[in-house]
Amino acid sequence: MLTKYRIGEGWLGYPQSHRWSAIADVLQSGSGLILGLFLLAHLHFESSILLGKAAFYRVANVLEGGWFTSSGHGSSLLTQTFSVFMLLVVMVHAATALRRFPAQRRQWQALRNHNLLINHQDTRLWFWQMVTGFLMFFLVPMHLVTMITNPEIGPHLSAARVWHDNYWLVYILLLPAVVIHAMLGLYRLALKWGVNFHRDGLRLLAKILIGYLLVLGLCSLTAYLLIGSGLTTPVTPFIP
Amino acid sequence: MSRSLTFRIFRYDPQLPGDAPKMVDYQLDETPGMTVFIALNRLRAEQDPSLQFDFVCRAGICGSCAMVINGLPTLACRTLTAKYSDAVITLMPLPGFELIGDLSVNTGKFMRELAERLKLWLHPKAQQADIHHLEQPMEPEEAAKLYELERCVECGVCVSACATAQMRDTFVGAVGMMKIARFELDSRDARTADDFYHVIGTQDGVFGCMTLLGCQDNCPKDLPHMQQIAYLRRKMAGTLIASSKV
Ligand code: HEM
Ligand code: SF4
Ligand code: FES
Repeated sequence: MLTKYRIGEGWLGYPQSHRWSAIADVLQSGSGLILGLFLLAHLHFESSILLGKAAFYRVANVLEGGWFTSSGHGSSLLTQTFSVFMLLVVMVHAATALRRFPAQRRQWQALRNHNLLINHQDTRLWFWQMVTGFLMFFLVPMHLVTMITNPEIGPHLSAARVWHDNYWLVYILLLPAVVIHAMLGLYRLALKWGVNFHRDGLRLLAKILIGYLLVLGLCSLTAYLLIGSGLTTPVTPFIP
Repeated sequence: MSRSLTFRIFRYDPQLPGDAPKMVDYQLDETPGMTVFIALNRLRAEQDPSLQFDFVCRAGICGSCAMVINGLPTLACRTLTAKYSDAVITLMPLPGFELIGDLSVNTGKFMRELAERLKLWLHPKAQQADIHHLEQPMEPEEAAKLYELERCVECGVCVSACATAQMRDTFVGAVGMMKIARFELDSRDARTADDFYHVIGTQDGVFGCMTLLGCQDNCPKDLPHMQQIAYLRRKMAGTLIASSKV
């Protein structure tokens, strides 16, 4: 326990910078907020495929900056640039959130003992937030690197990625992980900084959003799979 | 007709050579208004004089009788057995403290070390330390706020209910932060905001808290941990980031 750090008459803690402890906490929360809000928008944009190929085609063109190009098609350079930016945000987030990770076996044991002995919902929810965060360490870079190297987005090209390139494997794991992690994260964020203290309401909202986003994401993934399975190679881009 | 209760109790005496931790069942007839504290006393008097557990006030004031009752850390003297409809009550010692034996843990040692580490006593301003001076009166609003935080009975529940505290030995825990908040509010205390930041503006203090809120949910005195810790976090983050100190 604490006595370990006692030297003579004084106390010796870890050498810590106070300012950096504060900065790391703010960076973690700030990056988490950006990622969480982005996810809410992102899942709706990609789900426009549920409204038909033409709807998705238009959404993709607008987000690629189609309004600012003469052709109206936008540029996938924007997708690439944005993906690089998101990768940087994820890196800041992962680096700062790592401070929370049970890094030693002894800490895992303590966490396990605690969860077996003490019945506490928010600790269990945090456990899943932490596990899904760990999974995303691997899954998020896969997704983002693909968007940087193969940034073409469109009803046929995206569907071909999901079906012919087997990307549904990544998405079927990433979807539940990111949705659970981000919604629980936003819930915790509100309580942590005292944005809102209506805890039961916030937790219910987080759970409803998890359910809703999972259904939305699974439906659109199915749509991509159906479209992709109907395409013949080489895949030609969708023309409305 | 009274029910027969089953008490499933953690038994282990670290002083006894060769003893190993085990769970032991005891049967006891429930009486009206029975608390876990009353039940434990009867078990010790009638069935097993070697059973170890702590109590002093039996009224929720001293904080000695905290233990984990059916998965929730709380005060045994304030827990009615009638609450448990299935008549099985599992008792475990508070985790995270030195085990004295069975249900008895050394929270006193922990609290003392914490107080020494965080200097949890009033540091009076110079003229107030002089007994020939009349003490400054305190505004009733301030006194009320102090009283709210002063209600902590140092039971240790918030430490054992916190997975962060269980994973990190040097984390000061909710009780440490609540007490710092208490002295920060106290106009008689000579320490500046900076002095307090030095103590808990770190990874071992408020920035190590992961907002699991086991403290808030289990504190038998219903202290406002969530609000206080969020307040400290905002205040410290703002001041520390703006400061030029590394
Ligand atoms: C890319 C999608 C991600 C989103 C939307 C996201 C969102 C969030 C949010 C909003 C929080 C709460 C922030 C806070 O408590 O200050 C959080 C916390 C956390 N994140 Fe992420 N995150 C993502 C990726 C990751 C990754 C890749 C990791 C892997 C290390 C990770 C690990 C964590 C951990 C361990 C916490 C808990 C920190 C704590 O409890 O204090 N996250 N995340
Ligand atoms: S803050 Fe509450 S739970 Fe923690 S030691 Fe004080 S009374 Fe017990
Ligand atoms: S015996 Fe004093 S608080 Fe329970």
